[in-house]
Amino acid sequence: MSKYVFDLERSARGLRLNRFLNGLTRKENRDLFLKSPDEAMQDLSDEEKDMVRRLDWKALQDYGASFFCLEKLARTKGVSNPQMVAAFRGETLEQFLKTRRVPGAR
Amino acid sequence: MARIIGGIGTSHVPTIAMAFDKGKQDDPDWKPLFKGYEPVAKWLAEKKPDVLFFCFNDHATTFFFDHYPTFALGVSDEYRIADEGVGVRQIPNLRGNAALSRHIAYSLVADEFDLAIFQDLPLDHGLHSPLTMMWPKSPDWPGAVIPLVVNVVQQPMPTPRRCYRLGKAIRKAVESYPEDLKVAMIGTGGLSHQMIGERAGFNDEAWDLEFLDLIERDPERLASMSVEDFMERGGNEGAEVIMWLIMRGALGTRAKKLHQNYYLPMTTAMAVALFE
Repeated sequence: MSKYVFDLERSARGLRLNRFLNGLTRKENRDLFLKSPDEAMQDLSDEEKDMVRRLDWKALQDYGASFFCLEKLARTKGVSNPQMVAAFRGETLEQFLKTRRVPGAR
Repeated sequence: MARIIGGIGTSHVPTIAMAFDKGKQDDPDWKPLFKGYEPVAKWLAEKKPDVLFFCFNDHATTFFFDHYPTFALGVSDEYRIADEGVGVRQIPNLRGNAALSRHIAYSLVADEFDLAIFQDLPLDHGLHSPLTMMWPKSPDWPGAVIPLVVNVVQQPMPTPRRCYRLGKAIRKAVESYPEDLKVAMIGTGGLSHQMIGERAGFNDEAWDLEFLDLIERDPERLASMSVEDFMERGGNEGAEVIMWLIMRGALGTRAKKLHQNYYLPMTTAMAVALFE
């Protein structure tokens, strides 16, 4: 059984971070984040801000970010899901695509 | 009297919508997927259901973890398309059927399924990524949708048995509606995939094919499994296939699979199956 189950403990730990990520579904928040990230992230802790700034997908996930909330950040920054999955596996995108049947289908 | 004329199980991967919107119908990487939906689109065009009842999940888009419902039924006459981080997908707003939705809400609560009820909320790709593969969006949608949003993203999720029983209660609700309407059930999600953790990128084609067999022949066996069993066999996110059990529960004991397609190009096994 995988240890990465998004359960109530993880959800509680990641609530503030996930709320910020979910907020990126609104254009005004995306625009502010792209223009002035510090202002957009003022409710986050320094640790959270740092992970978001570095787009450290694995660290964000381990901290308590929901994958589906991380998708909002990825879309805002033009990052694809295969890129995120590769990061969780500790691989480059090229390495990950080599394990797929149709690498062009993305 | 309203009646259920059949059911469709389908993946709701966001890249399906992306491939559709970018016009990749003849791209060799995507053609096997599009071909697989043609018999389903044809069936819908011929049978002309008035309503598609969609069992799907929101992806922390419209609903957030400050209040995440286990089952939430939409009761509006219209639904907007949600912005998931790249602007709103350019498809028409979805038409609903508020009167039938309200009837189903009363019937299900009377049957002890205590649903959350929502109105005037936008819906994400969980519903409209498969929708555009089967139903023409222009000049306008051929009918209405009724959205049932299921929590499959935050544990504890409802059990597979609960989903199956809910499907049976939905059948009872639809069949007690006086207006002569044709309803098709749509169960979305899967098949095998895991997006997170050390097993990210996991698939199991053998399990997927077994699932596609059991959902037709022996849904009771699937209903007797736990959510953890589904996560183990089909990946954490693949456990969302329990939403197919709602669709299957609404079809009655016997259902015949008329068509099936399976395609596993990248991280998620994309399947579609049609039942009568």
